[in-house]
Amino acid sequence: MHYQTERGSVHAVRGIGLEVKPGQFYTLLGPSGCGKTTTLRCVAGLERPQEGEIRIGSDLVFSSARGLSIPPYKRDIGMVFQSYAIWPHMTVFENVAFPLREMKRRLSQREIRERVHQALSLVQLIGLEDRPAPFLSGGQQQRLALARALVREPRVLLLDEPLSNLDAKLREETRFELRDLVKRLGITTLYVTHDQLEALTMSDVVAVMDQGRIVQEAPPVEIYQSPRERFVANFIGLTNFLEGQVKRVPTGNGQLGEVETPSGLLQCILPEGVAAGETVVIVVRPEDVNLLAGPACASADSRSDPGKNVLQGRVEAVIFMGDTLECQVGVGGKRMRVKLHPSSTVAAGEEIRLELPARRCRALRT
Amino acid sequence: MDTAARLQLWPHGLFFLVLFLVMAPLLFLVLGSFSTARLPGDFSLSTMGVANYFKVYSDPGTYELLTNTVIYVAGSVALGISLAFSLAWLVERTNMPGKIWVYAGVPMTLAVPGMLQAMAWVLLLSPRIGMVNRILKDLFGPETPPINIYSLGGMIFLEGLRLVPTAFLMLVPLLRSMDPALEEAAAISGARPISAARKITFRLLAPGLVAVMIYQAMTALEVFEIPGILGLPAGIYVFSTKIYAILRSATFLPVYGQANALAMVYLVLAVVTTYFYSRMISRAERYTIITGKGYRPRQLDLRGWRYPALGLALLFLFLAVVLPFLVFLYTSFLPYLQAPSLAALSGLTLKNYRLLIEYGEVGRALTNTLVMVLVTATATTLLSFFVSLVVVRSSFWGRRLLDQLAFMPHAIPGIVMGIAFFWLFLKLDFLPLYGTIWAMSIGFTVSFLSYGTRSMNAALLQIHKELEEAAYVSGAAPRRMMWRIFFPLMLPTLAGVWIWVILHAVRVAGIPLMLYEGPSNQVLAILIWNMWDEGYVGAVAAIGNLLMISLLLLTVLVRVAGFRRHAVQLGGA
Repeated sequence: MHYQTERGSVHAVRGIGLEVKPGQFYTLLGPSGCGKTTTLRCVAGLERPQEGEIRIGSDLVFSSARGLSIPPYKRDIGMVFQSYAIWPHMTVFENVAFPLREMKRRLSQREIRERVHQALSLVQLIGLEDRPAPFLSGGQQQRLALARALVREPRVLLLDEPLSNLDAKLREETRFELRDLVKRLGITTLYVTHDQLEALTMSDVVAVMDQGRIVQEAPPVEIYQSPRERFVANFIGLTNFLEGQVKRVPTGNGQLGEVETPSGLLQCILPEGVAAGETVVIVVRPEDVNLLAGPACASADSRSDPGKNVLQGRVEAVIFMGDTLECQVGVGGKRMRVKLHPSSTVAAGEEIRLELPARRCRALRT
Repeated sequence: MDTAARLQLWPHGLFFLVLFLVMAPLLFLVLGSFSTARLPGDFSLSTMGVANYFKVYSDPGTYELLTNTVIYVAGSVALGISLAFSLAWLVERTNMPGKIWVYAGVPMTLAVPGMLQAMAWVLLLSPRIGMVNRILKDLFGPETPPINIYSLGGMIFLEGLRLVPTAFLMLVPLLRSMDPALEEAAAISGARPISAARKITFRLLAPGLVAVMIYQAMTALEVFEIPGILGLPAGIYVFSTKIYAILRSATFLPVYGQANALAMVYLVLAVVTTYFYSRMISRAERYTIITGKGYRPRQLDLRGWRYPALGLALLFLFLAVVLPFLVFLYTSFLPYLQAPSLAALSGLTLKNYRLLIEYGEVGRALTNTLVMVLVTATATTLLSFFVSLVVVRSSFWGRRLLDQLAFMPHAIPGIVMGIAFFWLFLKLDFLPLYGTIWAMSIGFTVSFLSYGTRSMNAALLQIHKELEEAAYVSGAAPRRMMWRIFFPLMLPTLAGVWIWVILHAVRVAGIPLMLYEGPSNQVLAILIWNMWDEGYVGAVAAIGNLLMISLLLLTVLVRVAGFRRHAVQLGGA
């Protein structure tokens, strides 16, 4: 699917190009108002981009150049809305049967019953067929909406923040169930969310969006470990930022460069084509930082040993978070966050040394 | 969008239709107030002047009128609100038993037409023929001073009773939505119960309460039937009855321009009160942080007062519904009016019901009423539906203006609306509307438009757009979506508005009294009015009885439709 859109005086989405491979779980991730829902609605046909092309499989469903726009009800899609949009005047059965009854080819009553049953058993709602739709719990409504979206076996499944209305516990369970289900059915899925955890745990490919454009598109691991922009690093997970100037650019491939920061000289991975003297920001995740054992040596010690990427600091706060221990360490006037194992014995006020593994430090252009 | 041109065309048509329907009569009302010609038909620009205003507003009678009106409105609002507040408080915040009777019974009082209620009380409390007065005379001797219903006090009493159901329905959610935590927080902060009630509870309720009072004052000011039945015979006028008297008095030639000049007071009041009302509403909404979860506010234990409280609540229901009904039932079987006694009971007869068949105009009036009411209800429902569709769902440039236009008639009383249309239909004589039931239908449709569009706006806002989009992505084309999703979801509202309009159009007398010309457009409300005037009390009781029974049945139907809508709201996104 490729398209661009322009709406009103503000660009909700612009210059977007994305391609979802058959059977892929593709997630659009971004803060609210970044244009991810608009993008999804364009694919559904509920919104019309001003320019561009959208294809579902081999079918061209929208093309501004050809003046072509297939309405949503003729597209081969299924969609789950954020509010679930369960029709309150119908029973559970009728809600799921609706897409079947609207098909071009008329299905027999028996076939409809069978396929509704099949869809409901996929989402484990068997036995609730005759219940009026409003008398369902939030989780049941969500599953009903999913059954309705799947019952026609569409080529593409569109999901608009389907988990955001569930409570935390249920959301966690449903995350895996949902991914399991669409993977089992092998259905191509376009998923929209603002929840990074959902995006990382469920997707094959994540596209991070900001202000109407895609900032980075990559598998979850790459998105997390190698963010290409400060926005991505900041939006996903906790991150420490250290600003500095490029000192030395690596000569060969895979070699590390050096950056001079106010806290000291650090080895790190540099972005491509960067020149010495350029200002960059080093990104390092709190869980990648190591606390060096043993009492702190003299500060000159760490300075004399730049290759080891060791910084001198003082623990300012220790916060117990259950599965981790978060330390806030003052380093050269900056505060760094470090995640430690909860069994670590650190106390506020302690002088410590932090090791920043060079391969885990990634410099980004500012 | 390829349908953009088509979409833009019909909102324009609708906009100009509503603009014409609302503004044209008002324009003629204003122009007419400057006309010095004796008949509306002779109106021309050369005969314009301010003579009417001079005549009306220099008349000392007008100021007596103003005083009467103020006393009547203030009195009935004070009585109505205190009654309604007590009832609402009893059912919401105390452990009074038998609440369900109050919840179900109070809205039922809406079904009793004001005209009939006033007539029933005349039969009870008229100084000459009133049954209660006669019984009092029998008990305490003929010198006992009668209780006179033909007085300002009588009007206040009855209008007060009539304001209760609407005020009750507005106050119940207000009391219910009060979060008990707000009062508990006051208690924990050290406030005594009385002080907490004064500083927290009452302050939070105040904007809502004032809004209800303004709304009720507007209603009392506009009502014609109560002061018409109780005040006119005694020569006690308020604004609505004075305007009627100027136009329809038997002794003088009507001075149309003066009626219009007097009606201007309403127009000014309408603008002012609408302004304050909407301000109050928005302030009340600011306080709706108090609405939200379905908590049950703390209930006061009435202890020994529980049953007396229920007795008081039931007494209201007795006075407002049961008594008028019993009086009519009893009177309708009497050969002539008499206080209840064994002798009276032995002389019961069907004479009055037979008279209905013989009184030639009844059949004609019934047919007229049926046609007029059905046409009005259908037209109002359709027009408000399309207006709300444009207001809520379209991007039409004039949608806010359209909304305000549709709301405007709300503040204009039926009598004034009647005069306005009277002028309009006389001037537009190329349209054969004057003196027909269609004229009444148009007048009613315009005045009910505000109610219709408010209901439809709310209903349309409740239908989450995703419910429709879900149908599109499920493969339903727009027409199928309308038929299977949109229409079924709107049906309870459409039916609710339709029945509400029937209930009101059948009994409101204001517009018909102004547009009535003779048997050809006589409707039930006029027929009852005329029969009462001519002294056919028994026949009025008979026909009133039948009318009340059918209205009660219809009201029950509305309640049922209302419950269905409630079930749908639960699921609406």
